[in-house]
Amino acid sequence: MSMERKIPIEERLNSNAWDVDERPHIRIKDPDQCRKCDSKPCLYLCPARCYTPGSNGTVLFSHEGCVECGTCRVVCPNDAIEWNYPRSGYGVQFRFG
Amino acid sequence: MDELTIVVPVKAAVPNITAVRLDPNTHNLVREGVPLMINPYDRNAVELALRIKDRFGGKVITISMAPPNGKDFLESTIGMGVDEGILITDRVFAGADTLATSHAIAKSIAKLYPNFSLIIMGEETTDSTTAHMPAQVASWLEIPFVYYATDAEPNIKDGTVKITRYLEDEGLLEEFIYNMPIIMSVYRNSNPPRDISLNRKIMAKVNGLVKVLTNKELGLNPDCVGLKGSPTIVAKIEDAKPLPRKKQIFQGDPKEGAKWLLENLVKEGVIR
Amino acid sequence: MSIKFDAIIVGAGPAGLTAAQRLASKGLKVLVVERGRKPGSKNVYGGRIYAHVLDKLYPEYVKEAPVERWVRKERISFLTEDSGTTIEFETNNVEHKSFTASLSDFTEWLGKKAEAAGAVIISESPVDSLVVKEGTVVGIRSGNDEVYGDVVISAEGINRLVLERSGLAPKLEPQMVGVGVKEVIKLGRKVINDRFNVDDDEGVAWAIAGFSTHYVPGGAFIYTNKDEITLGLVIYLGHGSKVDVPVYDMVEEFRLHPFINRLIKDGQLLEYSGHLTPIMGLNASPPSLYGNGYLVVGDAAGFLLHGGIIIRGVDFAIESGRVAADAIIKIHEEGGKYDGSSLSLYGNMLEESFVMKELRAFRNAHRALDEPRLYNDYAKFINAFLKRYFDVDGTPRKIFSTFKETKGNLTILDMMRDMTKVVTNL
Repeated sequence: MSMERKIPIEERLNSNAWDVDERPHIRIKDPDQCRKCDSKPCLYLCPARCYTPGSNGTVLFSHEGCVECGTCRVVCPNDAIEWNYPRSGYGVQFRFG
Repeated sequence: MDELTIVVPVKAAVPNITAVRLDPNTHNLVREGVPLMINPYDRNAVELALRIKDRFGGKVITISMAPPNGKDFLESTIGMGVDEGILITDRVFAGADTLATSHAIAKSIAKLYPNFSLIIMGEETTDSTTAHMPAQVASWLEIPFVYYATDAEPNIKDGTVKITRYLEDEGLLEEFIYNMPIIMSVYRNSNPPRDISLNRKIMAKVNGLVKVLTNKELGLNPDCVGLKGSPTIVAKIEDAKPLPRKKQIFQGDPKEGAKWLLENLVKEGVIR
Repeated sequence: MSIKFDAIIVGAGPAGLTAAQRLASKGLKVLVVERGRKPGSKNVYGGRIYAHVLDKLYPEYVKEAPVERWVRKERISFLTEDSGTTIEFETNNVEHKSFTASLSDFTEWLGKKAEAAGAVIISESPVDSLVVKEGTVVGIRSGNDEVYGDVVISAEGINRLVLERSGLAPKLEPQMVGVGVKEVIKLGRKVINDRFNVDDDEGVAWAIAGFSTHYVPGGAFIYTNKDEITLGLVIYLGHGSKVDVPVYDMVEEFRLHPFINRLIKDGQLLEYSGHLTPIMGLNASPPSLYGNGYLVVGDAAGFLLHGGIIIRGVDFAIESGRVAADAIIKIHEEGGKYDGSSLSLYGNMLEESFVMKELRAFRNAHRALDEPRLYNDYAKFINAFLKRYFDVDGTPRKIFSTFKETKGNLTILDMMRDMTKVVTNL
């Protein structure tokens, strides 16, 4: 993968070692809160683009590419994101940390 | 048969295939910095074994041929509920293809657990995807083999087992009744694995529930294992270049979008 | 089944493993519980470890530890879209002061040390909460399992979910932390030596402010490992609302900046990671660093010195783990109970160590570093000033007139104020 070009985040995440759990470790507690949320910092501050805009102002999430930083939980102004550590060793496995 | 003995062979695999690259000069896999882990589909096999044990009793053993750090994966299976683990590790086993590996696994099981009732394996491995192993182990042990199993109900009294299997393409569920011992591989989308218990993992480590055996203890024919027992030759490996994405975006009415998508997929020959 | 441990440590990072190694080497029964597949597989940092603490605690590290390169050159840059000003410091007299390393590798090595001393490390097990009985922490809970220990050390890292769930720490506020995003790029040893002008085992530590974070408070970094470089940035989440592109695009724009891009030509991405980092030091610590049956070390305790250019987490983590272990050993040897009053020994010993001495000295660092002008106006000004100054075209250009011409919105009063803030707090 040549680095002198834009690399979509999905492709960059693909360079990681993963053991993805089918059961998500992220949950949006109340989608209504997202609809009312103007700033939606999760869309900008999640390093893995786990959060994307849905229709009608909602927020969609995918847990598969989560790098487990916990940013979403901290920046959500409405405390609407439940974020846990993945169970039983699942998730990303950093080799270079 | 007094008690079920279920053996689950597991593999220490490369976690996800995209983490591995080919060296452009040597054509070998670049494995540096890639941690090994249990082959994900083997966890479904362990789960089925544990579900059988939960309902019918008995003992579940996991066995793996791996480098010494393979002990970790076996301890994890004990964390799930497995009773004991066997790690077979020896320099003479190194460089094995599927034939030599299946020989070592089959002969070790025959030696250590001659009265085994069931061998349960993952559908395939995620890092080499040959799905050779279950059939080859069956062949070495001269017992029947059922693939895509989703459930099994052994009858300890008459020594039979009712196996359910799912044929994905046909959408069929089939049931068979066989005499034990038998080997089955587990449909990968069945039997999602349970959590690993902290206390069981502590017990596995503190009480040394994973036994490490070398060929000194096993006494397998050195000509049938490792590089010597491996007829496979890797003639050439090519790196398949990913096709560039077209990145077309449709904006507007979802119904129109679906029509647009269908037309384009037909035009590209993706669907007919 | 129930084995009781003398000490249970939540998290196999540098802090927890150092505590484990020390406790186990004194014969205590120690359990370390780690959520990752192995120690190090969930750890991320920028790229450099200060070695002073290893000289004392792990003197064998020079031969054994997975050191990548010894830092020989320190660079600080102010970057704009089209210009950059760099200060580079280099000396022949640097000997083993700090080194670059993969934190995953380094942590794995610490894990082996702890296991060799007799600690039991169990991975793949996220701890959900602490078991509290009659106001005292008596163990940990993971799934349906409880494990009991005389004392529990929380070394769970920055997110400290376990402490939060047990009511021992409030939820993190955005201004307490920064999000770090990092790319590990393989270049090969010789290419790194050539492009960074270093010898085989010598490395570069580089901090870059300005355009690299789109002028938002935070900073970018580059460290050289043996065969790869680590490149990334940190955004202070208190200023998160100011980012105009997602952070994953921002790190890419930094990588594609012409000055950076030529350094990574023909590189190959090996890993993309993200992690939170404490930026407020003691101001983000849990209300108490110890209490009945528990104590807190490392990132979970806010033990990271963030001085803008110098960022030290691993040495503080290791030292706090050492201090926690020594306090426990002392109480254990005296046959005492681990209640809040006996564990105040940990607090006192921390005050004696560099952990508290340095963190207290830098207690207000974030006040200076939180000033948006540092990342915006000054980065632009210094480049505009030098560009104008070096742009010889026959018109007279003295320093002061160039300064007045290029200072933009900055007033001399601002500059004096900011200078005072930086000098007094850093």
